Amino acid sequence: MADGRTVRRAVGDVLLAVCLLSAGPPDRLSAQDSTRIAEAQAVLAPLVESYGVSGAEGPVREAAKRLLPSWAKSETDTAGNLWVRVGQGSPVVVVIAHLDEIGFRVTGIRDDGTLELETRGGFISSLFEAKPALVHTDQGDIAGVFLPRDSGFTRHTPPPLRVDVGAGSRAKAMARGVSPGQTVTMPKQYVRLSGTRATGRSFDDRVGATAQLIALRRLDRAALKHQVIFIWSVREEIGLEGAAAAAAALGTTPRRVHAIDTFVSADSPIELPNFAVAPIGRGAVARALDNSSITPPAYVDSLVQVARARGVALQVGTTNGGNDGSEFTPYGVVDVPIGWPLRYSHSPAEVIDLKDVVSLADMIRAVAETW
Amino acid sequence: MLSISTMRRTGGLVDGRTARAALLACVFLSAFSPVRLFAQGDLDRLALRFASMTAVTGLEQAMVDSLRALFPGSTRDHAGNVTLTLGQGSPKRLFTCPLDEVGYVVGNILPDGFLLLRRVGGGGAGRTASPLFDQQLEGHRVTVFGARGAVPGVVAVKSTHLTRGRGAPGTPDPVFTVDNAYVDLGASSAAEVQGLGIAVLAPVSLAKRPQLYGERLLAAPVAGRRAACAALAAAVQAKPKVKGTVVVAFTVQSLYTSNAGLASVKALLGPFDDIKTAALPARYADTAVETVALADADRLVREILQWMEGR
Repeated sequence: MADGRTVRRAVGDVLLAVCLLSAGPPDRLSAQDSTRIAEAQAVLAPLVESYGVSGAEGPVREAAKRLLPSWAKSETDTAGNLWVRVGQGSPVVVVIAHLDEIGFRVTGIRDDGTLELETRGGFISSLFEAKPALVHTDQGDIAGVFLPRDSGFTRHTPPPLRVDVGAGSRAKAMARGVSPGQTVTMPKQYVRLSGTRATGRSFDDRVGATAQLIALRRLDRAALKHQVIFIWSVREEIGLEGAAAAAAALGTTPRRVHAIDTFVSADSPIELPNFAVAPIGRGAVARALDNSSITPPAYVDSLVQVARARGVALQVGTTNGGNDGSEFTPYGVVDVPIGWPLRYSHSPAEVIDLKDVVSLADMIRAVAETW
Repeated sequence: MLSISTMRRTGGLVDGRTARAALLACVFLSAFSPVRLFAQGDLDRLALRFASMTAVTGLEQAMVDSLRALFPGSTRDHAGNVTLTLGQGSPKRLFTCPLDEVGYVVGNILPDGFLLLRRVGGGGAGRTASPLFDQQLEGHRVTVFGARGAVPGVVAVKSTHLTRGRGAPGTPDPVFTVDNAYVDLGASSAAEVQGLGIAVLAPVSLAKRPQLYGERLLAAPVAGRRAACAALAAAVQAKPKVKGTVVVAFTVQSLYTSNAGLASVKALLGPFDDIKTAALPARYADTAVETVALADADRLVREILQWMEGR
């Protein structure tokens, strides 16, 4: 999910009390069999362990293509978005999750061989300070470290970060394959926590991408009454750029768009509890209001009805950030975002509950087949 | 799911990335240092292995067990030091390497399953930790060493999206301290935490992810100490023909209120005619990417061997 700072049409800092609604019985999720959890993990883990800073999503897109059902015919547009069209007829409905993740881009190489960086997306830079780094090149990843600060030890926020690849000089760094424009992240790993929970980096929005893949795999194509377009978008974190291209291409054709993206949750002892408190493990979330869009209440009600009819757990709430669907609204398309609760968003240690991935996939499938 | 199975299989204080890190080591070493001596490879593997381990000061048992397995015939004294005696006669000399590190223990388990921490070491007479030492935990994975093995968790951090609009310009920007560290194991209750084998006093550390980069540079928490201990271990494995008696001691509790481990070795096995301690220069000290040049460790091995053999 884009940091609200990068969303062009932010609606401002509206703080509303959260309205949480459980459309399904809470114990329904605990009755889900381990096969569903295993399926969610089998799709999610390889996506999480692929690297794709905004503008360099190729490895994630290729991983997603490998996970598509065999019948799916995909195409990649000039922006880099991955499309799969299913069914025929109107009204056209779009579901869209983004492939990219936050990170850095190399802007220069100093005489001493250290790399100057710019951020791609919004995040707390101290989380990368003095940690292992990876420079992503066409020939493979080059290991290094994010330099620790050498002054300002009383401040949480570090100076602009640089990376040391151990070269010692600009010439040696370039000989090793480093060049401006390449992207930089830190090593990441998908790790299971207690119960059905897991941690990793870039769950935002690999969970949304995963849910779309699982929904496609499980879709009853014969049940579709209209065309549904599944899009895996690029450059969301730096201003919803891939979605803007897709929205322009489709124009006024779609009736609804469902952005499938993070519901940044305050489900943590260090967050304020006045909104965004959808707990993890209690299902998908109707993201009724964020910094980029407000869903018409009647559409929220309809989404809740779909969830009830299919027995899928759904929470309703409001959080911060922007979503890809908001790029479609200028064309008269209604944005009905569906999220999934995430702790510690845009950090190296995001935490999810796999039950929510299952719930989210079921919601997407239900929306495609019945709404 | 390789990553999961390795995490689950791993016991002791290695946090489950050793196999993967070793593979990375092979990749990077082959990329950057195509001509290597066999002994260098052994040293690199030892350094990587030691850097993957956790030995919170005063709670070094698991690393001690690993060292004892590495050196059949070694002994563990009551303080926890691992010692082995090479040669016989005089002079009687001691070569030490402190293996402990500043770390954390579980200080409290909250009803909702979150853990609170207490720092161990780094605040007393032994050594003062960097003001940013605790901040390295924020938003990162940690390993909790419970009675049933290593358990992964993360330290909570505010979601960047939810900070939006909540801090006015000029708002104080204090560093993160251990008092703000809430560890999330994915558990929902204290009972679930206890079911994982975790209780108050369980050791906790940043998840160890040793990184090899550049030309045999090793980055990891306490990489300097671990590479120095690896050099000492490599020297012992080279079976030196020592002059007189050399006691080798991997010592504990060097970072708490007193250097109790070393004091114990001196009291139990001394007096010694000479005492040396393995040490290596490190860049980015006290950070998660403390960096040592393994070429320096090569030199240290040679120096230790010369000293042991009286050359």
